[in-house]
Amino acid sequence: MANVAQVLADGLVFSCIIILGAIGLSLIYSIADFANFAHGDLMTVGAFGALVGATELAKVLPGESIVFFELPLSLYGGLVIGMAVAAAVALITERLIYRPLSDAGSIELLITSIGIALAYRAIIQLGFGADQERYDFSSQGPIDWLLELTQGIGGVALTQRDVIILVFTILLVAGLHALLQYTTLGRKMRATADNPNLARVSGIRTREVVLAMWIIGGALAAAGGIFLGIDTLVRPRMGFDLLLVVFAAVILGGIGSVYGAMLGGLVIGMAHEMTILVPFVPVEYAPAVAFALMIIILLVRPQGIMGEAV
Amino acid sequence: MDAVSARFDRTEIGVIIGVLLAMGAALLIFELSFVLPTLAVAGMWILLALGLNVQWGYAGLINFSVAAFWGIGMYSVALLSAPGSPLGFEFGPGVALLGAIVVSALTALIIGIPTLRLRADYLAIASIGFAEIIREVVSNERWLTAGTQGVSIPALLPELATTLDALFAPDAPAFPYRGLVDLLLVAIVVFAVYLLLRRVHLSPWGRVLRTIRSDEDLAKALGKDTYWLKMQAFVLGSILMAVAGFFYAYQFRFVLPETLEPINTFYVWVAVILGGTGSNRGAILGGLTIVAIRVLPSFFIDFLSLDVNVGAVRLLIVGLLIIGIIRFRSQGILPPRSELIWPAARDRGEKQ
Repeated sequence: MANVAQVLADGLVFSCIIILGAIGLSLIYSIADFANFAHGDLMTVGAFGALVGATELAKVLPGESIVFFELPLSLYGGLVIGMAVAAAVALITERLIYRPLSDAGSIELLITSIGIALAYRAIIQLGFGADQERYDFSSQGPIDWLLELTQGIGGVALTQRDVIILVFTILLVAGLHALLQYTTLGRKMRATADNPNLARVSGIRTREVVLAMWIIGGALAAAGGIFLGIDTLVRPRMGFDLLLVVFAAVILGGIGSVYGAMLGGLVIGMAHEMTILVPFVPVEYAPAVAFALMIIILLVRPQGIMGEAV
Repeated sequence: MDAVSARFDRTEIGVIIGVLLAMGAALLIFELSFVLPTLAVAGMWILLALGLNVQWGYAGLINFSVAAFWGIGMYSVALLSAPGSPLGFEFGPGVALLGAIVVSALTALIIGIPTLRLRADYLAIASIGFAEIIREVVSNERWLTAGTQGVSIPALLPELATTLDALFAPDAPAFPYRGLVDLLLVAIVVFAVYLLLRRVHLSPWGRVLRTIRSDEDLAKALGKDTYWLKMQAFVLGSILMAVAGFFYAYQFRFVLPETLEPINTFYVWVAVILGGTGSNRGAILGGLTIVAIRVLPSFFIDFLSLDVNVGAVRLLIVGLLIIGIIRFRSQGILPPRSELIWPAARDRGEKQ
């Protein structure tokens, strides 16, 4: 029997990655009104942006002795660069492709987003090759005091970078919450997500809101991709492989609800890691379990946990 | 209704002449041993495009699991008829074809029951998820599918190929007619399916499907069981995809889980939307385009001796084509103008 406490801890870390992807996907689903199949590959764009950024910064920064939580300063710089790159790519895509298609229906936009996803991945493969890349820093052991503290429940082994992923996700999610609840832009975003036409006639410049949404969604997606890259490997297909799990989270949470996306991300991320506890189901089928959950949700409650009745 | 005997219109004749000219040009430029198998493969892609056209073009179902149904077809052949398959049945091609049809129809029903009631975009997400699960199962369940090792498949009608070689090219070192049998068989099936779909599209059934696609509420208001009709279109399209998989298995004589990658689904999508959604002539043009996308990049890269990843170039072409078609010509190159109305009604309209 696997260590349940450990699985829960791993699930929490994986959930962070799913939550970051799900927030942006849900925002785009509600405001731009289509299922954006390019969102997973936008996560990959962010991950590669951060990899290049961190590598270049490491050459410029004086000495790699400046280390926080066993990770070099250049990596934190890379995180910011990756998020900026993905936000910029999302904005350019919106300007070049989605805006001229403003008359198209949601199905045409969905199909277009597949083309965009393939184009992102193809360009990454042309630039970096189809193989996996890895950050150039040593692997870390589990945190000793945490392991000792949790002896009673079987011991939880988390690395420093797992803790960083958790902390940064909480910061980003709290920041988004503050933005949505306490700023004018946030109020406009909530209004537009709720009812775009009503928002427009009420004098909200929805154009501005759409741009803000692409920037926020792109940056958060990038953070998810970067964290996955730090935790495992950076691969051209990494984002696409996550896409369905992220979709499952968005549908579970209720399309268009940011808080639903957070909750859905937590549940689906946990379920994905907890596959290991299910007898007779090999670990390779973890995405299949998330998908099966998604089908059940679609059948039982297609509007999701937080969504309004349709 | 004499839909089958309806005269071919001018664009159709144009397409046929164009295809024949292209084949002639290909024969002049390339060797027979390259052209014949390539055309056979094009026929296989045309079947896939015709299958998706029934689902997306006729009924408006966004199915992103084309590669999975294709895989069901090819793995039915591999598992039922190949001596090297882990199941070891060694049935003939007829049983394999029947297996492909039955398994794909049942799978389509199982997928369709929960998803066809839902919103259009949910079917898109659910179907791509289903395709990925099939790929995972095929890669991991070695006892059933031989996993990443793949399965070799014996030739379809080997005696016929030997006879043709003995008849036409007794002294040739390589077998120039290697692909001829494949080409003939797939051409017959493509032609039959084309006529069938023409008939089906012009029938009352096709007319209801078109109504569902453009206004599902209207079809419901007219008392049509839209769910069941969409299911029929989904099953019919899936069976055609599995039949394409059957031909793939015999054309390449080897199947691998890699073939089920989602990129192959998107090739077929490009074929259908490029040719013209709802247009069977368009699906034929689209099928030929896929072969061009798959064959030409390697030629150019070799010719210019570039150092780039061919797979990435193909991926980029497919992606840019999807974006470009939706952006600039969303009706496709050969939109289903005349196919949408009864040919007889149109002729009457012209006379007046």
